[in-house]
Amino acid sequence: MTADRALLQTTELSKRYGDVDALAPLDLTVRAGERVVLVGHNGSGKSTLLRMVAGLLEPSDGEIRIGGAPSGSLEARAITSFLPDEPVLYDDLSVREHVDYIGRLHGTDGYGDEEADIAERLGIAHRIDDLPARFSRGLRQKTALLLGLTRPFDLLIVDEPFVGLDLAGKAALVELLEERHQAGATLVVATHDAEYADRVDRCIALRDGEVTFDGPAHKADIAKLVSV
Amino acid sequence: MADIHWIDALYQVYLSAFVSLFIVLLLSSWIGGERLGPWRTSLVLRDGPDVVGVAVALAILVGLRSGARGGPLAIEPADARHVLLAPVDRALALRSPALRQLRFAAFVAVVVGAVGGQLAVRRLGDQPVLWVLSGAAFALVTLGLAYGAALIAGGRRVPILVANIVGVALLAWAVADAADVGYVHYSPTGLVGTIPFWPLEFEPLALIPAVLAVVFVLIGITGLGGISLESAERRTRLVGQLKFAATLQDLRTVMVLRRQLAMELPRTKPWIRQHGPGRLPVWHRGVRGVLRWPAARVVRLIGFGVVAGICLRGVANGTIPLVLVAGLALYLAALDGVESMAQEADHPGRSEGIPRPIGDLLVRHLGVGALVMTLVALVGAVVGVAMKPSLGALGIAAIAVPPAALAAAGGAALSVLQGIQEPSASWDLIPPEVAGMRSAFRIAGPPVLAVIGCLPVVLAHAALQNEGDPFGAATTGAVIALVFTGLAAGWIHQREQIKAWFHDLQDQAGTAPGASSRPVTATDGGATTRPRPTRKPTPTKVTTSLPRKR
Repeated sequence: MTADRALLQTTELSKRYGDVDALAPLDLTVRAGERVVLVGHNGSGKSTLLRMVAGLLEPSDGEIRIGGAPSGSLEARAITSFLPDEPVLYDDLSVREHVDYIGRLHGTDGYGDEEADIAERLGIAHRIDDLPARFSRGLRQKTALLLGLTRPFDLLIVDEPFVGLDLAGKAALVELLEERHQAGATLVVATHDAEYADRVDRCIALRDGEVTFDGPAHKADIAKLVSV
Repeated sequence: MADIHWIDALYQVYLSAFVSLFIVLLLSSWIGGERLGPWRTSLVLRDGPDVVGVAVALAILVGLRSGARGGPLAIEPADARHVLLAPVDRALALRSPALRQLRFAAFVAVVVGAVGGQLAVRRLGDQPVLWVLSGAAFALVTLGLAYGAALIAGGRRVPILVANIVGVALLAWAVADAADVGYVHYSPTGLVGTIPFWPLEFEPLALIPAVLAVVFVLIGITGLGGISLESAERRTRLVGQLKFAATLQDLRTVMVLRRQLAMELPRTKPWIRQHGPGRLPVWHRGVRGVLRWPAARVVRLIGFGVVAGICLRGVANGTIPLVLVAGLALYLAALDGVESMAQEADHPGRSEGIPRPIGDLLVRHLGVGALVMTLVALVGAVVGVAMKPSLGALGIAAIAVPPAALAAAGGAALSVLQGIQEPSASWDLIPPEVAGMRSAFRIAGPPVLAVIGCLPVVLAHAALQNEGDPFGAATTGAVIALVFTGLAAGWIHQREQIKAWFHDLQDQAGTAPGASSRPVTATDGGATTRPRPTRKPTPTKVTTSLPRKR
């Protein structure tokens, strides 16, 4: 992976819901290996942007390219891992079966030592054969994190990853994100967590669908940026 | 993507058996058993295909709209999120569920088509096998065209506007062909309509749409990979809830979910901005809601008004059964018209906090519903009169508008307030026939009230036939409709008190659910004072934002 290469690029990207502008035209470039935190108040457009990058929402205008391929294309899907704020899981598969199934869809061997290690660190190993449908919000979140982290990716998009996690889970996740970054992955994380925002390279703030700050994270006043 | 669960399969078989039985019974009663003579048979052969073609065009319109909104597949949320976001061929991943859905739909189509053919034999011919086969073939071709259109619209991301234009154009062509309007002939769907009549006359050109149906399905299935994940996810989220709400006969929830499915959102900026709270807060609240209606809803209501006007003109011309369609169109329009009242019913916690009787509040909400429906009925009146202008028609229309509007609003109000059917121990004790009547009344009562609202036109026509006074008859019809509407409004105003009284009766009979455990709040001189019967806990429902009162 070349560090200067633009991994994620949006051009004039916008989204409208009826007569409401969820995201104003946005030109954004995230280089390979960057750690970006996306901040903003509720309804500022963070989730809309991430869901469009993941290919779950159609842009009203503009385009998104991931690794040079259009978002949602086979090539883009192969290198993008999306962790939504609301876990979406199968009712009739255990955590292990989830990892097996989704891993194989991404060309891995399914549940193995590496996956078991991540499950252990996230504190979900003891429930690996249980159905997530019966889990608490926090355990479901951990299951979704496990699924998102055990598949191959170059770009990891995470929406509010710390919601519902206990302190140990949060610490483990921060550590895992750090490891993935060390391994060359590009991270784009939407969060209200100022503590995590301090760890990253770049901060992008959105307000009412428009970028109000884009610069080094250590220069960003997160509390001010997320206030309504 | 997993195979269908056996419970789902049984449910689908149950539904198809139920629908088939309903169709058989309905058609049997319409068709009768008398064999048609050669002249009437030739009339059927001349007009039948065009009329059947209208149904085919309608099916294609439905298919196109479904596809443009992310249909016809309803993918499991986890599949949409994990499988369709994985680097696998989406067309391949979706092929299996599409074929499964097609297989089931084909099964239902063949059954319904064959039953239709069997029924046609009784009046039109004596070769049952041919009639059954041609009926099944027609149903299959129609399904292929509609389902294929849906797949293509979904896979190619056809915008809803384009889908509507194409579908409505086909429908208009078919209707114009069936009605022999001007020089419009040879609608393509009319050609499909010749298939069920093949035993009388084989039309080789009808093989073209049959081939097209197969081509549509093939193109649609190969293009499934282009499906919009956004539409598919929205559809996936809502379709299951829609089915559940429909099963519970919860019309209000069905409406709200349908709006979400169609992304029919209120406007951020109202058509006309109103300032200040006004002296009539309930009225102003309703008007503000109406002023935020999206254009699609306004157009839909105008459309319902036009349909009602055309149908009532048909009634005036002697086709009395069209009054049912007119009443239904007005009722459907009124379901939107009483939106402010429905919002109140959706969130009972809010209205309970207001220091005035809930019945009084709800009846005040009827005002805006009545205004909206008056405008819709006026559209109908203009269309009806314009089709055959005369002073007499104008007079009857003037008499007919108020009862039609008010009765439709009243019927819709009854619908949105009744919510889901409440399980009750006392109703468990009564015979199933009576319980069935209760259910039937709950479902049919509100639209029947809207149909009663159209009584002035029916009675005016009857008076004209008997050389009576059409205006007097229309006025009588208007009075009858207004009396029924008044009773409905009275029920809405007094329903809490009536329910309280009924609960007291149940308590005395010891049959009320949980009667023995109902809280007693105070005693005074040995007499117990019960609290005002509170609403039952909000049922756990699949909708996310609609706490409903039962």
